[in-house]
Amino acid sequence: MSETMVTVGTWLQAFFTIVLVSAVFKDNPLYRFAEHTYVGLFAGYGVALTYFNYIRPNVTKNLLTDGEWSLLIPIILGLLIYTRYVKPVAWLSRYTICFQLGIGSGYVLAKDFKPYFVDQIRATFLPLWGTGDWWKDVSNILFVVGTVCSLVYFLFTIQKKGVQGKVSLVGRYTMMIAFGAAFGNTVMARVSLFLGRMQFLLGDWLGLIK
Amino acid sequence: MWEKLTNIDRRWLYALMILVIALALINPVGLAIIPSAETKNVYDIIESLPPGSIVWMGMEFSAGGIPELMPAILSMIRQGWKEGRDLRFVCAGMWQMAGDMADQAFTTLKDEFPNKQYGVDWVNIGYKPGGEVLLQQYQNNIIETALGVDFYGNDLNTLPLMKEFTSLKQADLIAIFCTGTPGEKEYIKHVTSPNNIPLIESAISVSIPEIMPFVQAGQIKGLIAGMKGAAEYEVLVGAPGSATAGMDAQSFSHALIIIFMILGNIGYVLTKNKKQAS
Repeated sequence: MSETMVTVGTWLQAFFTIVLVSAVFKDNPLYRFAEHTYVGLFAGYGVALTYFNYIRPNVTKNLLTDGEWSLLIPIILGLLIYTRYVKPVAWLSRYTICFQLGIGSGYVLAKDFKPYFVDQIRATFLPLWGTGDWWKDVSNILFVVGTVCSLVYFLFTIQKKGVQGKVSLVGRYTMMIAFGAAFGNTVMARVSLFLGRMQFLLGDWLGLIK
Repeated sequence: MWEKLTNIDRRWLYALMILVIALALINPVGLAIIPSAETKNVYDIIESLPPGSIVWMGMEFSAGGIPELMPAILSMIRQGWKEGRDLRFVCAGMWQMAGDMADQAFTTLKDEFPNKQYGVDWVNIGYKPGGEVLLQQYQNNIIETALGVDFYGNDLNTLPLMKEFTSLKQADLIAIFCTGTPGEKEYIKHVTSPNNIPLIESAISVSIPEIMPFVQAGQIKGLIAGMKGAAEYEVLVGAPGSATAGMDAQSFSHALIIIFMILGNIGYVLTKNKKQAS
């Protein structure tokens, strides 16, 4: 890529970065322009990529050259979804939606149970004492107690009184700690994103950092 | 005074944050970076792979994940290609920019490893639509599932690495770089759990609380947590990069946020008491 194109690309990146960040100070027409440009570019890129990397090779090679006529079934099913825009035949799109729902349900029933339930439940079978490391013993106890109490919190068919009430309270505090950790990680992620842009602006664009 | 503090215009806070980050980036202090156990696991797992092992790199992110994930990708390739290791990488993804992200990573390292050949040491299959169904199909036949072409339009049948690596089940390690769904859950469900292939992940910080149960259950063997994890990994590999450079700025910005939160809460409590008293 020529140096001119790299320079133009860098300046375009800098322009869009500054304009998009300007939204936190005040909503402005340049921000709206940048936002729409980004959304449009991303959508257009996705369509072009899917067409050139998947649809065209599938149709020209597999369908027309190799004669895999069974591919016509998913192609027609996929095209039927666009009938939603034509009111008299919009009902045809239900076939595609039902097919996708059926596949999705089948996947969930067949595949989700072991990794998301069995393996996770098995991970709570931890030694509560005698591991040889006192900190590991404490961690395991906190983990098991926190998990059980959090699950008890979601037993809404029993009134939260007495023992159930106290156990639910422990579960609630455990979840609050977890949400606090999640919030902290979210803040860190957003700062990291902004850091990346600042590194570009100060480094690649202005040359103030190496 | 405290009332003014609780009602301060947020634009001043944003401006202060930008100033702190800019100053920290221009004049870094060099705060210590101590690798965590999860990052060390990733490093150790890569180190334990025999030379010539094939690593599947799942590029499940778009441009928004570059600051946090690209440093980890570069470090992993550097670790895999250092003297005597000669790991081989096959990159693909369920996200649209998977091919572009892999291309960016290997292009960045092109001059550092001039002897590494495309098609022999690494292949970029890129994005193919299908989501988790794709992962299922890659386990049967990669070339057929990818319609025989890689990200650059090359015929996969002509690439020496792909003649040997025909199914995802043959991967010695699966390393994924995720910013959301589809991501690690799909890999665990379809690939690593049924086939017992070790899985390591680099994820953005916002996903970490969601991923930790899988790490705790041993379904994910190692985790590089966001930019901080990437900085730790860069330290372990011995090649400090953009993640390490950003750590001072991240620490100072977090300290600033904590100060804002403390002042805000003190102001809230004092003004609340004052209102109750009056």
